[in-house]
Amino acid sequence: MLEIKNLHVKLADEDKVILKGLSLTVPKGEVHAIMGPNGSGKSTLAYVLAGRAGYEVTDGDILWNGESILEMAPDERAAKGVFLAFQYPMEIPGVAGLTFLRTATNALRKKRGQDELTTPAFFKLVKEKGADLNIDVEMLKRPVNVGFSGGEKKRSEILQMALLEPTLCVLDETDSGLDIDALRIVSEGVNALRSKDRAFLVITHYQRLLNYIVPDKVHVLADGKIQKTGGKELALELEKSGYTDYSGKAA
Amino acid sequence: MTIAVMKTKAEQALTEAFEQAAPKLPGGAAVQAARKNAIGTFSALGLPHRRVEEWKYTDLRAALKETLPVAVDDTATVTIADLIVALGPLAHIDAYRITFVNGACRADLSDLEGADGLDVKPLSGALAGAPDEVAAHLSATTGPDKDATIALNTAFMTDGAVVRVADQAKLAKPLLIVFLRAGSDARFAAVRNIIAAGAGSLATIIEAHITVPGATPDGQMNTLTEITIGQGAETHHVKVAAGSGKGMHLANWNVALARDAHYRGFQFTSGIALARNQIHTVYQGEGGKLDLSGAFLARGHEHIDTTLVVDHAVPRCESRELFKGVLDDHGRGIFQGKIIVRPDAQKTDGKQMAQALMLSPDAEFDSKPELEIYADDVVCGHGTTSAQLDEDLLFYCMSRGIPEHEARALLIESFVGEAIDKLEHEGLRSALSRLAVDWLRQGQA
Repeated sequence: MLEIKNLHVKLADEDKVILKGLSLTVPKGEVHAIMGPNGSGKSTLAYVLAGRAGYEVTDGDILWNGESILEMAPDERAAKGVFLAFQYPMEIPGVAGLTFLRTATNALRKKRGQDELTTPAFFKLVKEKGADLNIDVEMLKRPVNVGFSGGEKKRSEILQMALLEPTLCVLDETDSGLDIDALRIVSEGVNALRSKDRAFLVITHYQRLLNYIVPDKVHVLADGKIQKTGGKELALELEKSGYTDYSGKAA
Repeated sequence: MTIAVMKTKAEQALTEAFEQAAPKLPGGAAVQAARKNAIGTFSALGLPHRRVEEWKYTDLRAALKETLPVAVDDTATVTIADLIVALGPLAHIDAYRITFVNGACRADLSDLEGADGLDVKPLSGALAGAPDEVAAHLSATTGPDKDATIALNTAFMTDGAVVRVADQAKLAKPLLIVFLRAGSDARFAAVRNIIAAGAGSLATIIEAHITVPGATPDGQMNTLTEITIGQGAETHHVKVAAGSGKGMHLANWNVALARDAHYRGFQFTSGIALARNQIHTVYQGEGGKLDLSGAFLARGHEHIDTTLVVDHAVPRCESRELFKGVLDDHGRGIFQGKIIVRPDAQKTDGKQMAQALMLSPDAEFDSKPELEIYADDVVCGHGTTSAQLDEDLLFYCMSRGIPEHEARALLIESFVGEAIDKLEHEGLRSALSRLAVDWLRQGQA
């Protein structure tokens, strides 16, 4: 279970406060959506969960399975099952996709006390998981994300998620820049990973994604706090009324 | 009144060393005359220092305080097992091989069997046996006219490889030219390769400057390769100079491309106290293509200088340069890239990039691109960057579970990898990646 308790976050280098007492609980087996206007702190929440530098937690805590993760480095969090699918997946020129995936997979397996995968075993696994996401292995021989289209980058994020077998999946605006076919493929990839042992936090600006990844709960984040929590029908309401009620500004 | 230019101790010592060594250096009268002429040129030039523009960042006069005994008639015990250990990852490359130990050819460590279309001879023999064949190369190199390092090379060269790739020959394997440092005494050695790639030929030639395990890590190497690429030929040329943080490596490549020739050069330099890699290329016919790339890795107080001149003397030629450096501690990298486009060299297409990754606040990268363009219908560009490791990429890797030190290594590797990926030969690519990774590991140890 993910428990975010009264989380206050500011930028480390500036006096700008972004999260102002955010509280949220996502039990295993559930998918929760976070919706909110631009600048409400959605991406900050995603980055703070994954442990990116540049943010300072001034109050509150984040517990994953009862353990605070705030002091953990990003790779330790990953070992505990935390995974962030980036809004803008990064390009790493010079590192072949397969090398990157294999390094990450085996680093995590090692930390989780599992045997490292041999090259043939790993290759077979990538081929299998890639096929589900319409990703050809040839594409992964190229440097990580370099020259990929928006859709290819997002699919490659979901492939990483499938390979690394996280238990807390945070998806940051995974729908941004996707056409309808790519959205379907990505959503199917996510849905295939839904299980009673996994919690999902799906961050999105638009309701559209939630037609494909149907959430158990929807939270409205505005001005650094959860303003309202409801069922999946809340997303539809928001689609109609916009975020004006929550932030005083039009989205 | 006469004005005598003060000579440094080292300059004097080199001139004296030449007098002593001259009788033992290979070559008949014509060669001896060329040597004498060269030491005269050196004597007039002196060691280059920071007030000589091309040597602004590498003050050789200050760095070369004392000369080492000249390697001539040197005997050192080196076995094939020593050679394999010294080659490290390069040993896995299936190649024809000619080996020199302290500047002298060693037939027992060479293997040229079945080298069809390839003629390889030691320079020492060529100098003694057929002076006319090589004498031309001694007096008229395609490199710069007045260069102290080239003059010293001509004066002192003991050996090297004279290579001829037959017209239309496609070599089945690369040729590996190994220069080994052996023995416990540090030496000054000068070697020269003369390579001619025949028209329409395809060849890969690798020079490796390495040290036998247990030998002194110190020494001064002066190496020069004259290479001419025949019409329509494609030549891949690689130099690896890897040490353990000591020694001096002064290198010249003088490259001439005939019409439609394609030359792909790569230099890997690591672990040398002071390295100066000079590359001088000239196009002698239209349609020539040049790809120069390299990786330089420096830590401690190591200093690695790449200075190149690409001379577009004729129209419709292409040049590409990509050099990547990783600099840690007080490591210093220098890149000077001059592209000359002469008035007649219309339709020239030139692009140059030099990048350094700075791993320490004390590291230094001096980059000086110089475009001298006298033609009006050309496309030329250059760029240079120096940056620290990208923290965002580091976070991305770590968020996938890769521990920080591994993520750093991966990103540094990838930075250098962009240059190494220019190599077409897969075995070479993996050998050089291995060398880069080993260098990184030494830093983490």
